[in-house]
Amino acid sequence: MLNSKEKTYKLLHIEQWLIEKSGDSNETNGILVRPTDDVESLFVTLKQAPLVAFDFNNFDDGRSYSQVKLLKKRLGYQGEIRALNVHIDHLQFIFRSGIDSYELLPEYKQYNEDYAIDFSICYQAAENNSGLIEQHKFG
Amino acid sequence: MYKYHDNDTKFIDQRHNQFKKQVTRYFDNELSDDQFRSIRLRNGLYQELHAYMLRVLIPYGSLNSKQLNQLGLIADKYDRGYGHFTTRQNIQFNWIDLSQINSIIADLAKVNMHAIQSSGKTVRNISADPLSGIRKDEVADARPYCELIRQWFTLHPEFSWLPGKFKIAINGSENDEIGIQFNDLGLQLVLNDKHELGFSVYAGGGLGAAPMLAPKIKSFVPEIDILSYIESVLRVYNLYGKRDNDKRLRIKFLVKRLGIEKFHDLVEKDWLSSRDDDEIKLNISKLDKIKKDFIAPIKPITSKNIEQRVDFNYTIWKSNNVSDNKVKGYSIVSVSLTQIGSAPGNIDSDQLRHLSALASKYSLNEVRTTKNQDIVFPYVRNEDLYELWQQLEMFDLSSPHNSTFAHIVSCPGADYCSLAKAVSIPVSKRIQNRFIENGLLFEIGELNLHISGCENSCAHHHVADIGLLGLNKGKEDYYQITLGGRTKNDTKLGKKLGRAIASVDVVDAVEKIVNVYVNNKQQGENFNQLFNRIGIKLFKEAVYA
Repeated sequence: MLNSKEKTYKLLHIEQWLIEKSGDSNETNGILVRPTDDVESLFVTLKQAPLVAFDFNNFDDGRSYSQVKLLKKRLGYQGEIRALNVHIDHLQFIFRSGIDSYELLPEYKQYNEDYAIDFSICYQAAENNSGLIEQHKFG
Repeated sequence: MYKYHDNDTKFIDQRHNQFKKQVTRYFDNELSDDQFRSIRLRNGLYQELHAYMLRVLIPYGSLNSKQLNQLGLIADKYDRGYGHFTTRQNIQFNWIDLSQINSIIADLAKVNMHAIQSSGKTVRNISADPLSGIRKDEVADARPYCELIRQWFTLHPEFSWLPGKFKIAINGSENDEIGIQFNDLGLQLVLNDKHELGFSVYAGGGLGAAPMLAPKIKSFVPEIDILSYIESVLRVYNLYGKRDNDKRLRIKFLVKRLGIEKFHDLVEKDWLSSRDDDEIKLNISKLDKIKKDFIAPIKPITSKNIEQRVDFNYTIWKSNNVSDNKVKGYSIVSVSLTQIGSAPGNIDSDQLRHLSALASKYSLNEVRTTKNQDIVFPYVRNEDLYELWQQLEMFDLSSPHNSTFAHIVSCPGADYCSLAKAVSIPVSKRIQNRFIENGLLFEIGELNLHISGCENSCAHHHVADIGLLGLNKGKEDYYQITLGGRTKNDTKLGKKLGRAIASVDVVDAVEKIVNVYVNNKQQGENFNQLFNRIGIKLFKEAVYA
């Protein structure tokens, strides 16, 4: 269970979500996407999900970043996107990926967000473009 | 050359500050060995047999004289007085102490150098033809695209944690000197029927234990769409590339598993949904601005009457190491780092400083590194050639070996590298010595030999005329020989000659192979043409008789 925007959601894996969606819709259910999941299978029912969460527990696994991209860009998802089990060294990427909220792994409890803000500039357009350098701005 | 902006300098500093904090956390046991490994590799730092190794990035092989000079300082201050130029145009320092890493990075940053993404599961240094912008047969100069693409994929929020490393090469000329097809992604600049500039795209190449030449997956991507196309390739790789088998991480395995058609379709589907996003269109007006940085800073000149020199050594050097610049009155000089008896690609700090001074004096402060581990002076006035040669002589930098058989390409091998199975450098020295003793060196003509100490194939042995791959059987080093590999217009992988040969016999075997070539070649025939004509049989008979 996880709290977001003062609402409590039950997180379901994609398979489970797809089964439940074929019956009564339940607005307290969110989706938990694993790195191996095919997010495009959510195409039909995604809009009904108030929250989609991604698991960033594996330090070297970057699949979730592309899954988030597909969710937002290709599937047009507009609800909340949350990153779970985040390593502090990933925060700089999380901030720029279109993820709305995050939860650090417990081992990083002594760090605050300031620790992870190292960069005032970036070289590429992404979901969050603050600091984008001039030569990569369109037009 | 690209002119670094304040933002570029700031970015390097900010990355350094971040890495400093991470090193501190590692020393405080707050980062595990595995996590720190992943982080330090992204910053170019390897843990090798005897020490840490730092691979410093040389973007598409482009260096200025200040940077060369600083590399000399770093070699003295933090290494044992030398560095090693790699086959992907970077430089490595092999004797780094972790406690000094911050100080080294700070010294590099003083000249806008760094090691960001020179290693790790990221988009690596982008290779370009070292003769970009100075050759006659060029469609377009690859370097401005290399620079923009390098920037775009530096700490990219979506593509910084890939399944494996990702090497891009861009070629702008009709002659492919960099082997785009043995990179993860190869881009060839082309003009379409309407005379518009764009890229042909090759994906899924690589050497290593399962060498594969990248197939063409797209004939034409307009230049304005190249960032979105690369993103789509990376997205498909990031989502579907295998992550659970260390030997199957590269994109070539994904292309093989899915098949070229399916891979192409996935990329195409993604691209069609993302290419029209304004933010990812290449900014042509800003590209044009960057292109100005790269225009050759020379105008045609009519040389004064150049005195003809009758120095034998100079004449050999000039015929092997000097070629015409596309601008009249200027030459391109190749400095071979293959002095007989020294390790290919190795350079000491005095030589680095000397080259720096010579680059200032004779080549408008600019040099290029190459995949054959040479240094190229791009802008030398014809009338300065003799003087430059004399100056190179003073520091043992005048080897006339460019494109001769003594110009062996080698990785550091088991003397330095923890991955290597066999030594490379000692074998290269033995081969060089043999061919000096037997007097064949200059008779052989153009012929290349590459030695990799293991299947990671850092010396690109698969695409050499004669390739040696180090293996280890029990206590002894063995070498698997391949023949007939090539790059340039028609990239081909070499064919295995037969069973591997023990180190003690390997120089004899190479000599026998060269003898078959010399005894059978027809007028003007190179090794590859001969190999295509006569096949492998005679070579086999000679070596295994």
